[in-house]
Parts: sequence; structure tokens; C-alpha cells
Amino acid sequence: MIAEDLVIEKGVTAGDQWVTVPAERIREALSALKADGYRLLVFLTCVDHLVDSSREFPARYEVVYQLRDLDKPVDLRVRAFIDGDPPRIDSVHDIFPPANWDERETYDMFGIVFTDHPGLTRILMPDDWVGHPLRRDYPVGGEVVEFSEEHEIWQTAPEEA
Amino acid sequence: MIESPGVTVTRTGEQGAFGGELLTVNFGPHHPSTHGVLRLIVDLDGEQIKRVQPVIGYLHTGIEKQMEALRWQQGVVVTDRHDYLSPPINNLAYALAVEKLIGVEVPPRAKALRVIMSELTRLSSHLVWMGTSGLELGAMSMLMYCFRERDTIMDLNEEISGFRMHTSYIRPGGVFADSTPRFLEMLDKFIREMPGHVDEYEDLLTNNPIWRSRTIGIGRLSPEDAKVLGASGPMLRGSGVAWDLRKSIPYSGYEDYDFDIAVSNDCDCYGRYLVRIKEMREAVKILRQALDRLPDGPVNVDDRKILPPPREELETSMEAVIHHFKLFTEGYSVPAGDAYVAVESGRGENGCYIASDGTHKPRRVKFRSASFVNLQALERMALNHMVADMIAIIGTADTVLGDCDR
Repeated sequence: MIAEDLVIEKGVTAGDQWVTVPAERIREALSALKADGYRLLVFLTCVDHLVDSSREFPARYEVVYQLRDLDKPVDLRVRAFIDGDPPRIDSVHDIFPPANWDERETYDMFGIVFTDHPGLTRILMPDDWVGHPLRRDYPVGGEVVEFSEEHEIWQTAPEEA
Repeated sequence: MIESPGVTVTRTGEQGAFGGELLTVNFGPHHPSTHGVLRLIVDLDGEQIKRVQPVIGYLHTGIEKQMEALRWQQGVVVTDRHDYLSPPINNLAYALAVEKLIGVEVPPRAKALRVIMSELTRLSSHLVWMGTSGLELGAMSMLMYCFRERDTIMDLNEEISGFRMHTSYIRPGGVFADSTPRFLEMLDKFIREMPGHVDEYEDLLTNNPIWRSRTIGIGRLSPEDAKVLGASGPMLRGSGVAWDLRKSIPYSGYEDYDFDIAVSNDCDCYGRYLVRIKEMREAVKILRQALDRLPDGPVNVDDRKILPPPREELETSMEAVIHHFKLFTEGYSVPAGDAYVAVESGRGENGCYIASDGTHKPRRVKFRSASFVNLQALERMALNHMVADMIAIIGTADTVLGDCDR
């Protein structure tokens, strides 16, 4: 298991084990867990807790890493909470190769910047898209229909790479 | 720059090993052999592949965003549409995740019907794969044979759910409706005939010299690479790793069925083909057991907070009317928390991660799609192969772009 000082909180929700770690030490925590047998990153994603009154959250964005020990087999969910504009967290693509595309997707959808990622570009949305669609403050139906007249007016050059 | 419809060629200026220059070739996104709309930017030295860069997102439909705007019971309809070749398996992942958060378990008959639908879907998904991959590698007749049986499965879907493709049959709390006697008859006939049809496919492909020369030794993926890259499903089992979620982390009562994990140690395109053939035979075995042991009883949980009361109760019970009204105006709410459920689809691990904030709509639904992860192994498999082998490699990776882009 990982060092005690890395664990902020741990528990079991609906039968799933989870542990919360400090976001700035995510690489340390995931390396330790990988050495401990959790060799597979099942997926990586983010949950936006904007105006979520159900519980207390330390920050708006919760980055979720689902790890699996293939031998036992047992799953473990690692959470890290981050804030900021843009929110930043270290990339783990070299520890877990499947994280590469997952991190690009999370950047695309939530605008989370994974530092030291080899090519952090949009993956699902068009390159010139403005905004991050899975954020809770991005409206459903807010986008203009493509190839319509409004679309041409709406489409502007991207502000940032 | 040389241009032809669907393919763009650019000179890179880099020197290749054969005295020529490396060329960047753009495949797709509307190339017929990319199984949808996959775009590949390939660097070629002569005919050898040196770099592959998949470009995805052409079939992105914002399913995860849509789910956040739909109530829990409405979300099922959307799950059908992301991996459009295996709708009931997607339904199952979503339904199991919602049930895990609520903490209900469906009755035995519902579990058995879910297994039947999952295995039928696995068969139909493998049939589409074999038909189209055979077509791409020159075995034209495969498409006719495979789609013949697939149509029988579509008929079965229609009989049990009313829809041929997007069934929405498996829902949180149970299934849409009980099986009809005619469905069970049709299923029995199908199970009796299917092993013979699988023999037919094997007659056409397994020892076919063209098929063998196009797939043996092509697209090698070592067991270590497959595990490191997070591959799942036939991609992983074709590389000799005996990992099947139905055995390893059983769900929906799969632990009660007797079947083998299909594994091949070939680690190439042919190995992945053998795994799928074996899986089809195992699926028929599971279907036979499920049909013979189909338990009697209800097919939905007896919980009025999740599922509406039966029609006849509405005429006599005021409480039933209130439940009905509440369910169809507000929907039900799911306790705050998050859950992940993984199921084995035809392509690998298709999971559903749900975060709930305790309201009647999900806060976040994430589909872990097998195609998205498996596609990252494409470069490893295609390196130093001929450009024509790319078709075999994309084919046997069996990516569904709807699943990949969601």
C-alpha cells in the first residue's frame, strides 16, 4: 500500500474501494501503487463538482484514476482534487501508457492541463473548438448547428493552442 | 502533394532505408476499410509503415454530456448508441452501475435474460466483424454468410424487445419485458443451428491459404505489450493472456455458467481470429445453459421507487398512481456517490463509471470503451508492416468508432 502520509482519506462507496491523495503528489502515489501490483489503469477521467451540494468537496475538479490489480483481481479508485484556471495536474502517461489518450480526452472535455504530457491536444472535439464541453457550466444545446449560417459567424480562431 | 479521393500524400524530406524519401499518407476518415470514420496519418518508407498516428473524434456525439441532461431511466436509450454493434451489453454496464449505487439486485430470471441478450449480442458483434474483415481481405462470401445469421439475431431482438438494433432491453431494475414463448422457440432453434454455421465459417477461413497468408504473423502484439497498453477483449486474449471479465470479475450471474476463456498464443491477426471463433462457440454453450436453466419468476425488481407499477394496479390503487406519476414526471434519485462496473463486450472491457450527486439526473457518466484503449496499440502492431497489412490490423483490432468517440 502507499505511504500513510499520501492518504488524505479512504473508504468504500457502493462496494468500490477508493483513496484520496494530494494532487501535487499524484505521480508519487500512482508509482507506489503500480509497484504494489496495480499495474493496469482502467480509465482516467474527471468529475466537475460545480454547485454540488450533496457533499463537501475540497475543490471543483475531481480527477479519478481507476487502477486494477490483475492478479487478485481487485480495483482501486484514486481521487485527486484540483482547482485553478486552468486546473493543473501532473501527467502519468509514462507510468501508465493508456493514460496518454485519456489525459488528452480529459483536457479536451474539462480543460485540465496535464503538465509534461507529450502532446496535449484536443482528441474528440475539432481542433478549433472553443470551450470544454463536459464542464458543468457549458450549456447543453449551446453549440450552433454545423454548416448553418450562424456557424460561420460563430467559428473563430482558437485563442490558445 | 499528390491527391486522390480519400488519400493524401505529402513528402516529408526524411531519407528512408531503401534510398527513397519517407512519405506521409493520410488514410480516411471516410476510407471504407476503417470500420467507420477513423483517420490515420501514416509515415511510409517505400511500403513499410514507420509511424502511425490515429486521429479520432469524427463520430463524437457527446453521449456523456447528453446523459447528464437525462433522467436515470432515460439514459438507457443513449447507451444503446455509443457501441452500436452491442447495444444490450452497453445497457447492462449502465444498468449494473445504477443498481450498484442504489443497492438493488435483480431477480434470477432477469439475470438469465440479461446473459442471453449479452451472448446474442456478442455473437452478432463477432459476426459483423468476421463478415467485414473477411470482405476487406478478399473473402467476399463471408459477408453473406455472417449477415445471414446476424439477421436471425436481429429477429430475436425484435421478438423480445420490439427493436432490431437499439433494443434498450436491459434497464436499471430489470429488463423491458419477459421473454415470449415464441422467443424461446426461436432461440432454441438458433442454438441448435449455430454450431453448424460456425463450422461453415471455419471451412471458409481457417485453412484458406489467402486468409492465412494475410493474417499469420501480421500485427504482432506481445503479451507484455498488450498488458502494458491496457488492451482488453480478443486483443488481449489473442496475445495469450487469459483475462475475461466474465470469469475474473463475474457480473450478472456469469459465475454459474460453464464455459472456457478463448485464448490463442499466436499473438497476431490470425490469433485474434481464432479467439473470436472460439468465443462464438462458447457463447452458444452459455446460451444453451441459460435457456435450459431459465428460472421462473419476475423479471423486474419489486421496488415502486425505481420501476412503475403494473398497468392493472393503476386502476385500483391510489398509491400506484402516485408512484407512476412521480416516476414519469420527476424520475427517481440515486444516492450520492460513485460506482464503476465493467462488462465484457465483443471488443473488450466496456465499463460505466457513474458519479451521482443524489439528484434525479447523473452528475457524470463516463463510458470506458474498449475501442478507445485498444486503438492506442495500433502503432505497436503496425510498425514495419506493409501498408496493405494495415487493413488486416485495423480489421482484427475490431474498433467501433461510435464506441471510441462516444
